[in-house]
Amino acid sequence: MKIKSIHILLAIIIIIGGGILLASELDLYNTDRVKSPRKTAEGLYDVTDIRGSHTLEEIEKYYQLPASSAIEAFGLRPDTNPTLFQLKDMKEIFKPVELEGEEYIVETDTVKVFASLYLKIPYVSDETFYLPEKTVNYLIENDKLTGEEKEYWQGHTFKLEYLDSKYLTASEFSKIVVEEAEGLMVTGRTTIQELLDSGITEEKFEEVIGFKVPDNKSASVRDFIIDKGLEFGEVKDKFAE
Amino acid sequence: MAKKQKKDLIRLAVQIFFLALIILISFNHFRSEQGLAPLLIGSPSLHAVCPFGGVVTIYTYFTEGAFIQKIHQSSITLMWLVLGLTLLFGPVFCGWVCPFGTVEEFIGKIGRKIFKKKYNNFIPPKLDKLLRYLRYVILILVVVNTAISGKLLFSNFDPYFALFNIWSSEVTRLSLLILGLVLVGSLFVERPWCKYLCPLGALLGIFNLFRIVKLKRNEKSCINCKACDRVCPMNIDISTSKVISDHQCISCLLCTDEIACPVSNSLNFSVLERKNPKEDSEKDSGDKIEETVSGGVK
Repeated sequence: MKIKSIHILLAIIIIIGGGILLASELDLYNTDRVKSPRKTAEGLYDVTDIRGSHTLEEIEKYYQLPASSAIEAFGLRPDTNPTLFQLKDMKEIFKPVELEGEEYIVETDTVKVFASLYLKIPYVSDETFYLPEKTVNYLIENDKLTGEEKEYWQGHTFKLEYLDSKYLTASEFSKIVVEEAEGLMVTGRTTIQELLDSGITEEKFEEVIGFKVPDNKSASVRDFIIDKGLEFGEVKDKFAE
Repeated sequence: MAKKQKKDLIRLAVQIFFLALIILISFNHFRSEQGLAPLLIGSPSLHAVCPFGGVVTIYTYFTEGAFIQKIHQSSITLMWLVLGLTLLFGPVFCGWVCPFGTVEEFIGKIGRKIFKKKYNNFIPPKLDKLLRYLRYVILILVVVNTAISGKLLFSNFDPYFALFNIWSSEVTRLSLLILGLVLVGSLFVERPWCKYLCPLGALLGIFNLFRIVKLKRNEKSCINCKACDRVCPMNIDISTSKVISDHQCISCLLCTDEIACPVSNSLNFSVLERKNPKEDSEKDSGDKIEETVSGGVK
């Protein structure tokens, strides 16, 4: 049988198009991120698989590393919301530092090293040889370092500096803090439940969005709005008003 | 001639469709990050709709039941679908679907106009033949290092990701540099990324050795005009083989009698053995055409 262009076209439609449709029906075509990290041979979540997109809450959930510990150890604002704060957000808070002639950014790998020391799980980093002084002090105060580790890390510290000097005192840090004195700031990660908890009534929600409050209140407001074909930016502003 | 041009439009239409689809997905992903609603379709990341993501995560997937960072289940599904398609028809994904290959091909059309016959013949044959194995080295390096690190290392070099995610802070300077070199290189060499560097193309290219639908040339009717050799974007020496199973074939069908070959039934993709009446009279009915393997390039 001679194969022509039209046959290839049909094959692409059937195999690729049909395959995706079938896989979707079988729940085998999920384009969303799988949040749970890899597990080690011992069945524990692997520290090396801590990701920049993990929130402090997820770190607590998977690794049993309390969000409050991370907040304190890294000098984050006490009102930082663990459900919204992603590890990659740190690079928007802390100034990069010059260490041994190279620029170092406090971010996910720093947290990996912190988590490995805090949880006493071995992790060898190829980029983090220094830790913030504040973090090392926190580990020492909480008796998380062995004598050898203590000696090494005390000699490998740097001072954390904030990109914005008003970080600890400013009333608004939209990417990091949700609840403000004036009310709720809706971000891309605000859940419907958080919106309702902030004082927005179900009637107000329906009035602004035009749809009833869904049963799944743990869904993000943004996802819900986008799913309904609305512009998140516009709706967000209406809530702010 | 008009009929042949019309038939080549089918592949062009498919290429434009997938190119537009990826641009729309990328645009929607950008809108989604800005808090805007996606247009027409969803807003998955580019990693989620690339079958190579399935290839690089396969070790982690089978040993730990997890995906490496940034890779999604859809990548694994797409990988199996593309491998299935390739087992049947060869690397159709490369020649018809891959948006990056399409961009290279479109730029190549400009190069062809500028350099005429010299286009796609700049690299000395010996060097060219050697360089074509580089993509297998890259494939092995990427798969092994990804398995060891659990990270999507390839995205740091990937010009495809850089091109369609150029707005993203995830795109590295190195990948932008590689993208620039590939796009400029496409003016001189047809599909330089596909030929020399693409690790997915390397994997799919292996299927050319045992694909079910094969590209066959009828020696009896071939007039040795070499139109097939001239039109092949991958510079495969088609006119000297009976069955073309070169690892670089991208199943574009340009060489076949549907498009370039001027003699009907002389060069085409077929799934069963050819029954040539002349041959049948000369040979025993049980004889089959001896298949030879073309591994050479121009």
